[in-house]
Amino acid sequence: MTASATPCFATEGLTKRFPRVTALDDLTVTAGTGVTGLVGANGAGKSTLIKILLGLLPPTSGRASVLGYDTATQGLEIRRAVGYMPEHDCLPPDMSATEFVVHMAQMSGLPRTAARERAADTLRHVGLDEERYRPMGGYSTGMRQRVKLAQALVHDPKLVFLDEPTNGLDPQGRDDMLALIRRVGTEFGISVLVTSHLLGELERVCDHVIVIDGGRLLRSSAIREFTRAEQTIAVEVEEGQQRLAERLTAGGETVAAQGRLLTVQVSADDPGRTYDAVRDAVCDLGLGLLRLEQRRGRIEDVFKEPVA
Amino acid sequence: MTTEPTAVIHDIGYRHYDGVRLGRGRATLALGVQSLRGVFGLGRTVRAKIMPLLLAAIMLMPTVVSIGVMALAKQFVIPYPNYAVIMQAVIAVFLAAQSPYLVAPDLRFRVLPLYLSRPLTVTDYVLAKLAALAVALFGLLAVPLTIEYVGELLVDLPGPPHTADYFGALGGAVLHAVLLSSVGIALASFTPRRGLGVASVIAFYMFTAAVSGIFTGVLISSGRDDLAGWALLLNPFFLVDYAQSTLFGTAPVNIEAAPPGVASCLILLAVVALAVTGVLLRYRKAAS
Repeated sequence: MTASATPCFATEGLTKRFPRVTALDDLTVTAGTGVTGLVGANGAGKSTLIKILLGLLPPTSGRASVLGYDTATQGLEIRRAVGYMPEHDCLPPDMSATEFVVHMAQMSGLPRTAARERAADTLRHVGLDEERYRPMGGYSTGMRQRVKLAQALVHDPKLVFLDEPTNGLDPQGRDDMLALIRRVGTEFGISVLVTSHLLGELERVCDHVIVIDGGRLLRSSAIREFTRAEQTIAVEVEEGQQRLAERLTAGGETVAAQGRLLTVQVSADDPGRTYDAVRDAVCDLGLGLLRLEQRRGRIEDVFKEPVA
Repeated sequence: MTTEPTAVIHDIGYRHYDGVRLGRGRATLALGVQSLRGVFGLGRTVRAKIMPLLLAAIMLMPTVVSIGVMALAKQFVIPYPNYAVIMQAVIAVFLAAQSPYLVAPDLRFRVLPLYLSRPLTVTDYVLAKLAALAVALFGLLAVPLTIEYVGELLVDLPGPPHTADYFGALGGAVLHAVLLSSVGIALASFTPRRGLGVASVIAFYMFTAAVSGIFTGVLISSGRDDLAGWALLLNPFFLVDYAQSTLFGTAPVNIEAAPPGVASCLILLAVVALAVTGVLLRYRKAAS
């Protein structure tokens, strides 16, 4: 059984009905190794899917497998091989991060000495230093999220489920967490299923994105297919937007105005040319440049596209 | 875009773990041991240690007095089988103070889903918690009994030592541990608030003790000694006292009331089964 041959997880006609709502509706989806994003609005069925994949919740109908194990019968094997970071708070405030992560490692079957080493390693990887000896009650949201991630990684799983890991973080904390998730997927070699209701942040870290809405699959494809749409750059200048647009158009660029922004289509054959042209034009006209950023086709667009 | 500060700070590289992975049993054992240590405040804050250690110290006091009297007056004061009934209030306070600690924080701070996302089942979790409390309660009783027994042997009183009584009392301590831990966990697991858990356990003890005391008093004074024994069974400590007397042949504390015999053992078994089933059902529900 090689990692590449077995999908990280696969579902087939997966349906989960609760007495009052249908959380998942005939969901058939497969995810390979790497970082997979699971996107959907609140209540789209993301957490329910994770619970089913962990073998903790029986589906109403359909089947699911994780790392080749059947969720209905091999829950223990699955939970031995995966890590789980829940969306909600789950840290006892009077314990230190070290104690807690060591304990959780033992709960995954690591002997005490190995649990200690792994906990120290993992906490360092998630970026928790001296504060790991302090009771967790006094931690900031960013630190708490790091501890939650550490406890999911401490037993070196093959796959981790991260439920809304950026919830409640400030922009800096969000970036740090996303960078960490990317490292887990690439450098650590642990496959990741990460959920979010924010589409924009997932496109930065994922190889593959699954979009669900109302428990139904909206789209599942590699990230480059989401973003392969034309590359554009957005330019904002203090004044003289009009002059800049004229100058760039004259130079052969495709320019469109969007409010205070100018979007310039990046040349497919020679991307450098467009960037140079924008730089030179702004410079020659002596304009005050406020913003210059790369724009790609956004995952958001899936929701705008009519669904077949 | 993701190679900035983090890579610089933590550039030690990730190492995979390829050591042993123990089974469910060992994880359950680790949870039980950690819970047992926590019951006595070990590995917790100083404040968490005060109550259990103070109560454990109080449990030893009669032993010290008893050994003193044995040494000085050559008299045997506290019969081993009666120790638990004499100290019941202290044991009840210990139970009330410590059983919520075992279950309430995991519910309140939602640590339970983390346990269940690991190769540990609801039953494993509940068994580990019950076992931890049962071992703690057994220790709370067995240690003073053993010290008193060693004291008795060393003082060398006239007549044979009360060995049968000592072992009967140890058997009774096992019964106490099993009954009280299952009732304590059952009551405490219904609320995520530790304070409410403490209150409900102590209220349960006070209520059963009071009702049992009133009924027994009334029945004895009206000459219904045959029924008084049954009324006593309402108090968990007298329930165990009678079961202990039936199983290990020790003398019951109350001699006026007619002992209910085997029925006490059956009732004890039924209460334990009911409490454990209640806890399991409660956690099955919490897990989903």
